[in-house]
Amino acid sequence: MISHMAAPTSAAPAALYRPPGPLDLATALEPYAGPWGVRQAAHLYRRAGFGGSPDDVARATGAGMRASVDGFIHFAEASALPAQPQLDDDRPNPGQRQVLVAAAQAGASPQSDAAIMEARKAIGRAHRDNMIAMETWFLDRMIDTPAPLQEKMTLFWHGHFTSAYQKGIPAKALVNQNNLFRANALGNIRELTLIVSQDPAMVRYLDNAQNVKAHPNENYARELMELFTLGIGNYTETDVRESARAFTGWGIDRDYNFRDFPARHDDGSKTFLGKTGNFTGRDIVEIIFTQPAAAALFAKDLLNFFVYSDPEPALIDAVAALIRKNDYNLQPVMSVVLRSNLFYSERAYRALVKSPVQFVVGSYQLFGIKQSDNVALGALRRMGQILFLPPNVKGWDGGSAWLNSQTMLTRENFASSLMAKMGNAAWIQRATTSMDPSAVSRALVATILQGDVSPASTANLTGYLNGNNVSALAALSGENADERIRGAAYLTMAMPAYQLA
Amino acid sequence: MKRNAFLLGAASGLALVGHSDGFFARALAQTGAPNDDRVLVVVYFQGGNDGLNTVVPFGMPAYYKYRPTLAVTQNDVLRINDTVGLNPQLKPFKDLYDKGQVAIVQGVGYPNPDYSHFRSTEIWETAAPDKYASTGWLGRYLDGANMPPENLFNAVAIADVLPEVLVADHVDVAAIAQLNGYGLTSDRSKTLGRDEFHAFVADNNVPFRSPYLAQVASIEDHAQRGAEELPKLVAGYKPAATYPETPFGHSLALAAQVIGSKLGTRVLYVQLGSFDTHTTQKATQDRLLADFANGISAFYADLAAHGDDKRVLTMTFSDFGRRVAENGSRGTDHGSAAPVFVIGGGVKGGLYGEHPSLDALDAGNMRFTTDFRSVYATVLEKWLQRPSSGIVGPGFAPLPLLA
Repeated sequence: MISHMAAPTSAAPAALYRPPGPLDLATALEPYAGPWGVRQAAHLYRRAGFGGSPDDVARATGAGMRASVDGFIHFAEASALPAQPQLDDDRPNPGQRQVLVAAAQAGASPQSDAAIMEARKAIGRAHRDNMIAMETWFLDRMIDTPAPLQEKMTLFWHGHFTSAYQKGIPAKALVNQNNLFRANALGNIRELTLIVSQDPAMVRYLDNAQNVKAHPNENYARELMELFTLGIGNYTETDVRESARAFTGWGIDRDYNFRDFPARHDDGSKTFLGKTGNFTGRDIVEIIFTQPAAAALFAKDLLNFFVYSDPEPALIDAVAALIRKNDYNLQPVMSVVLRSNLFYSERAYRALVKSPVQFVVGSYQLFGIKQSDNVALGALRRMGQILFLPPNVKGWDGGSAWLNSQTMLTRENFASSLMAKMGNAAWIQRATTSMDPSAVSRALVATILQGDVSPASTANLTGYLNGNNVSALAALSGENADERIRGAAYLTMAMPAYQLA
Repeated sequence: MKRNAFLLGAASGLALVGHSDGFFARALAQTGAPNDDRVLVVVYFQGGNDGLNTVVPFGMPAYYKYRPTLAVTQNDVLRINDTVGLNPQLKPFKDLYDKGQVAIVQGVGYPNPDYSHFRSTEIWETAAPDKYASTGWLGRYLDGANMPPENLFNAVAIADVLPEVLVADHVDVAAIAQLNGYGLTSDRSKTLGRDEFHAFVADNNVPFRSPYLAQVASIEDHAQRGAEELPKLVAGYKPAATYPETPFGHSLALAAQVIGSKLGTRVLYVQLGSFDTHTTQKATQDRLLADFANGISAFYADLAAHGDDKRVLTMTFSDFGRRVAENGSRGTDHGSAAPVFVIGGGVKGGLYGEHPSLDALDAGNMRFTTDFRSVYATVLEKWLQRPSSGIVGPGFAPLPLLA
């Protein structure tokens, strides 16, 4: 089954990307009281948000740790952002449905090819338009939100409780699901799990709509435990079968609303994780969250997403205990994590790979660009992260999976394309008024990378800005000087530190 | 273990930046054990090719019952025996078959077939029907095959996104859609000077520690150098065959160019599609099968002219086969088992496995007769000469189609 893990040559140690050095468990979750400067503020913005603008980071630097974390944890009002994208109707209308249903039935009299093609094309077009509209909507929210952690958590949940724009799920249902993640971003994990279990897109994506008493479908029950809450090894195949019975009858109606169909429900007795009763899906979720493994799974996923990869088992236990102590309410948990010694430790610093979405959104924020475009969508596709189309129910693997030569070239090409728009950024104007190559290069590495480069790279950048002593920056005409500075900013974004969060 | 080797390789690569182009790849191609020059090419039929109209069971009456408008007539079939034959669009491919250069494995699939394009393709690519694996089966092969870490082209996907089949834990695989356009779109890097740019992107003398830093630096360096070197490394290659003027033809031409330039490449990936023929299947599938046959025929002619045909094995796969009964719109819906072609190299031509019965269907689909992991095990053990159990799981005996 886990075939490749058995191969001696490719058996990856579990802690391959755990930062080096010892974990000080006793103080790890205690409040951080060390130095606070642009380095820490930018780190907070990269993790709790997507990077932020230089002004955002400067404000957080001045405000101090406590106030800055409060600003992330207590979401600002975001109602000025569009609550949903403009969508086309992507479900077949009655006429189209008739054509397609007949066409799919073997032996039926063949429909006219033109009618079939027309119906398929219309739906395909709506599907493509909706895909672009949804991706753009979510990206633009992330770029422009006054509540970055709310959007970051929404992205986290999108990769955790995955559903995809496939299997005939209407775009509207996926947008609704996304808004559920947003509304429960730092809410109660157990409640969100129940909400997701009754979410129409999820009910369709993992086939619970087909889970009926006469023919139980185990897909949702299995993934709920394997991927969403407990992890392999913390339940049995019997638990899968029994909980699938409990979820029978949770389906969707013609209008794609959730509906509990009592006639399809198996109301017999079930035995699940050691308890016996006439359980429904609601009971199953309650029982799952009495298991310590549930808190441990969320602790591990949150640490991997917000702190560093491959966290120590003892650290997972400590965060799991914090989650249980707060009865699965996430806001107080994240409040502790984002203020902790652990979070601001050198071991956590730049210890994560920026996801493609973070790379794109953070770059837009850096240059004050408010709206994404097709270049961004194409780059995300080539980097392997298409919003509303995670590769499978496991979501995006993240970490080293984001790193190969193709994705790296795409990052650099995206950064280069962004330079056409960077002139609007006020900080660039300020940083370059002097036209002094060394001042400009210092400003670029300070603003884009918080100085996380070698002295040699800064010197190289200065040399580039200075035209390698052949064509000095100050001697260039406005346009050429601009282009030189754009080039220098692009090169700064190609450096390794910029790939890391 | 491998991770250390990877990082060391990256470090040594960095130290040599600035040497003459292609130094590493060329040096590597000239070393190695006798069988180290074997190449595997996988061809992905994107969208789910209809196996029944590819290898046609014209001797099974049920075929004509289920395919009233789509069936290939007995007169048109390119006969292999009294039961099956090839689609007439595959004529150049049938010529290869008649020369003993093609093995056809019939009825290939896996238990509890999935009918989603995404999931079923992922199953074929990861060889893991029962779990969500994070690496492809050929990625795992690369991880275990002691690939020289300084070689930028151990494996090449002719595609603009790295396919999952080649996702490895430790080997960086280049995804190249075409030579033109591979690499940096900006010439900003050029104005800086090559060495300085490399020093930039591979800078790891930084004021922070990150468990990902060495890997980022190394892959950035790979990407830069790969994009720069590849066009020069393959520039000396002259094709000796005329390929179809199609994306697939161009992809195969590039694959032959990479192989013939002896960069040490062991695995290549090429794709053709889309075979997702829910409506008016014939026109689409005919065009694609002809493209495949013409392309593969040119590919092996080109390889033979360069003396490379014996060291290149090609294998096909698809999302799934298609439903036995055609639908009402002269198309077919998603199905299960389908044939797999294994071409060239040391292949022992002929038919392998049994054609699935059309009289004992499972919910309208054929029951597979050969597990796809047996085909992979064959290629791994007999061609690439690696144990297969760690890659596709234990218990999949190789088929006798390779010496």
